[in-house]
Amino acid sequence: MSPRIISANLVVKLRSFYRERTTMFFTLAFPIILILVFGTIFMSQDNVGYHLCVQDLDQTTSSAQSIKTLEVNGEFKITRVDPAVNATQYVRDNKVNLVLVIPQGYERSLLRRMKHNDLKASVTITYIYDPSSSSVTTKMQILDAVLAGINQGMSGKPPFLKSVGSSILTKKYRFIEFFVPGIIAMSVMTLSLFSTVDSDTELRQKGVIRKLSTTPITRTDWILASILYQFILAVISTIVMLLVSYAVFDVNLHIDAWLPAFILLDVFAFVGIGMILTRFVREAQSAAAAGNSISFPMMFLSGSFFPIELMPGFLQKFARILPLYYVNEGLRAAMVFTDNLAALKDSAVIGVFAAVVFILGIIATKWEESA
Amino acid sequence: MTNEAEPVIEVEHLTKRYGELLAVDGISFTVRKGEVFAFLGPNGAGKTTTVEIIETIRSSTSGSVRLLGMDVTKRKRDIVPRIGVLPQGFSSFDRITVRETLQYYSRLFCRRETDIDGLIELVNLKDKSREQYKNLSGGLKQRLGIAIALVNDPEVVFLDEPTTGLDPAARREVWNVLLGLKEKGKTIFLTTHYMEEAELLADAVAIISKGKIIAMDSPRELIEGNARYLLLTLQAIDEKVFEIVRNMGFEPIHDNHKNIKVRVAQTDDVLKILNGLKDEGASFLNLDVRKPNLEEVFLQLTGEALQENLAEREAK
Repeated sequence: MSPRIISANLVVKLRSFYRERTTMFFTLAFPIILILVFGTIFMSQDNVGYHLCVQDLDQTTSSAQSIKTLEVNGEFKITRVDPAVNATQYVRDNKVNLVLVIPQGYERSLLRRMKHNDLKASVTITYIYDPSSSSVTTKMQILDAVLAGINQGMSGKPPFLKSVGSSILTKKYRFIEFFVPGIIAMSVMTLSLFSTVDSDTELRQKGVIRKLSTTPITRTDWILASILYQFILAVISTIVMLLVSYAVFDVNLHIDAWLPAFILLDVFAFVGIGMILTRFVREAQSAAAAGNSISFPMMFLSGSFFPIELMPGFLQKFARILPLYYVNEGLRAAMVFTDNLAALKDSAVIGVFAAVVFILGIIATKWEESA
Repeated sequence: MTNEAEPVIEVEHLTKRYGELLAVDGISFTVRKGEVFAFLGPNGAGKTTTVEIIETIRSSTSGSVRLLGMDVTKRKRDIVPRIGVLPQGFSSFDRITVRETLQYYSRLFCRRETDIDGLIELVNLKDKSREQYKNLSGGLKQRLGIAIALVNDPEVVFLDEPTTGLDPAARREVWNVLLGLKEKGKTIFLTTHYMEEAELLADAVAIISKGKIIAMDSPRELIEGNARYLLLTLQAIDEKVFEIVRNMGFEPIHDNHKNIKVRVAQTDDVLKILNGLKDEGASFLNLDVRKPNLEEVFLQLTGEALQENLAEREAK
């Protein structure tokens, strides 16, 4: 191993990267675009309540008061629908997913119940909804909870069961704070995997590796230079992602030594996988397909974009055998939960995996012409 | 080059087998210090396999190869810093300039004293020193490849098909660089399928065909020893010239430009043919009589590849 040779390779790789402006742009811009797009979506979900259309057929003070209660307790933004229109047609025409209809006689029934204690007096609130909407179920659950609260209040008795939320986190976090570590893990993976497979396959195909094999550079020098190069790119990319996240979304993330540690393990693991793939990929055109076959399942199933708890049970089990899952979990443990023990456990799993695939990658890397 | 010069490459009974295919079939030869040794043969003859075994990047099936007195299978680390290699189909990093590429390879050899400017001048790339590799023409790339092969001031330089794929002008530029190296007294192992290249540059030539060396000597000796005839070329417009010559007992052939080529044993035969044509009233535009070159020797020895090389030469 020669530091002089490793640094010479590092300089060539960094120069090539810097001069390949298109590659440089997309390498740095792709994760930023993901953060901006998903961050904006999640931020709007975090900050804005549901929109609710209400058709008040009773047009009384009591019905107006109930609408006010919905607005305050359900955190809804209320849009009033003209009582003269057909509510079903309104849903269809205006592309809304639900219209809540307060029937005529609402106030009369309310007075019978409140003043005359007539327990037979009741009112049916109708939800006219579009079942194809993904968020309508949540909206109906919120409405049910608000209506249950109103019923409870009218009974005049204090509720027996009460609930209070207690977050496992010391601070209040938004979804973007969970999302950014996942994107860091994913982008370091794609960077390491594709750079290794694409670059090594192209250099082998062009005969550059054959030329290098007639010089004193060894396979170890070449691989260490690649690792160092990928790590530098990963750190640059992570810094850019964090700067954008802080600047645009004012994220609240804990940065300590775990971050570079997980980046390094991520780099080792996926450069190792890349080296193994390069052994079997003959042409540059096949390299992208080979890289995609590894990166896509990792990207979508290991919890980079959404929690794996949203997936079916068998997919959750599958996710737990993916190396990127442990990078995601480890980075979140370190950056969001500041849970060092959990980060240590995740780093141990990904560390063992990285060591195994990296050694296999070194063995698989063909330097001299063995034939 | 005298036979007293010390041997730098000693190949004995070298064999390389790829499954059922015997690519190199028990060849032996020696290259001496300061010699330009041309390894000549058609595509697929076993040239590159042989040179890659000597360069330590490919293993042999059997036989022995000693380079600079060392066994290539055991002393790669000692050998590599002392040789320079231009591999077949050489390529480099697209976005790196000529000067940076030479600096990079110099650092791989851990050399601090490489004269980068001198190398750039040697291969006549001064105007292109800041040009990225991807922007160079084929000839310039090959010249850069030769300069790279020299960054460690090697004792032996291996050039595997250095002019293949280049246009005639670029080929001549590379030849000029190689002639410069020859003047410097470098030991050069050159593989080529261009006879003209070998004839121009080489002190010794080994002709390889189907994995076997079928002739080995200096170009002059090879020609003298294997082609004791003259080559008459007739540029004919008259269709009957070919028939007249054949009827006189000779074996004429058409080359790619429809010229008629006839091998004759002596100058009297030329006169005989010309008189015969005159008697029959046949006319021709031009004629040429010359001694055969390596190309004809190669044809005679192997019976292959003449058409390919003739076509390439005519294209120039």
